[in-house]
Amino acid sequence: MQWRNTANSYGALAKFLHWTIVVLIITQFFIAESADELPDGIEKLSLISRHKSIGMLVLILAVVRIGWRLANRGTPAQVAMPRRQQIAAAAGHGLLYLLVLAQPITGWAMSSAANYPVTLFGWIQFPALVGANHDLHEILEGVHEATFYTLAVVALLHAAAAIYHHVWMKDDSLRRMLPFGGRRTP
Amino acid sequence: MNRIGARLATAMLAVSLVASLALAAPAHAATAWVVDPAHSRLTFIATQSGGEFQGRFNRFHAGIAFDPKDLARSRFHVTIETASADTQDETRDQALVGDDFFASSRWPTATFDATRFVLAAGGRYEAQGRLTIRGIGRDAKVVFTFQPASAGHGAVLSGGTTIHRLDFGVGQGEWQDTKWIGNDVRIEFELVLGPGPAQAGGTGG
Repeated sequence: MQWRNTANSYGALAKFLHWTIVVLIITQFFIAESADELPDGIEKLSLISRHKSIGMLVLILAVVRIGWRLANRGTPAQVAMPRRQQIAAAAGHGLLYLLVLAQPITGWAMSSAANYPVTLFGWIQFPALVGANHDLHEILEGVHEATFYTLAVVALLHAAAAIYHHVWMKDDSLRRMLPFGGRRTP
Repeated sequence: MNRIGARLATAMLAVSLVASLALAAPAHAATAWVVDPAHSRLTFIATQSGGEFQGRFNRFHAGIAFDPKDLARSRFHVTIETASADTQDETRDQALVGDDFFASSRWPTATFDATRFVLAAGGRYEAQGRLTIRGIGRDAKVVFTFQPASAGHGAVLSGGTTIHRLDFGVGQGEWQDTKWIGNDVRIEFELVLGPGPAQAGGTGG
């Protein structure tokens, strides 16, 4: 497997970033839900701290992923499909990138608005995005949650589209992003 | 109570009056200052999950008698209302006031009293005294600078110290864990001083 994308498949780095981000975002949901149910205490604090660190990791990985995509001009050739579908796919991917970035950024801003530090597992501290502001914190909390549900819906549509291509269209859309998948034997 | 008892009581009262006067009268010490609360601040920097955040005490009183030329008679007597701790987050502020941290209902104030002052490196001074939080007193050293205002009679006193919160029991039970809330807390202050009553008469400054 190659690091870089080829004409037939995504490269190892693009695949690694894609699937790592998927796993981390699903983990984030469960950490947030568990923390939400806990009373204020050290356990809740530790869960929220982990949630924030993983969120910053997602942000970094997403930036690398987008940078790598831009640097790696040779994305796999488009599978044959109507122009309307191509536009929908491009828009969907653009929206996904946007939401994957917005999710950690709104969380980061939400912490800043409540004067809570944001670190990457305590190794480095990120500066506050906004000044402390109680009302803004409440707003951002709502936005962070809404962004997540939007992301979940768009990601499910994205997965459904990949499965549709794989099962009904019998093309390489899904296979070329699978960890050890390559081109379907002709 | 017999006469001897009454005399004894009177004598004790006199002694305690004299003692309290001596303690409460910085005019007898070095230059007394009046702190301008609107422009002075007392902040703390603590760590949570390995990241720093800042808070402040909105209500404190600092009795400052300080003269660089008369360190021997300089005095600090600072009283901090622990319930005025403000970290700009309601949940955290309520936790700080609660029994596991400052326990402000039981110990409403923290104090710092210094009577020994020495010259430190870089033209700074060190106040050696006693810091009391949650009723637990520990020796503490505060390093500060003293800058007389270029115009007028004022001065700015700024400095700080780093303490270990657990030395004072700030963080009980599970909060003694320093993994998520660090033990070190940096305390910083900037006090804007105006001339005290004695100076207002034009004697010094």
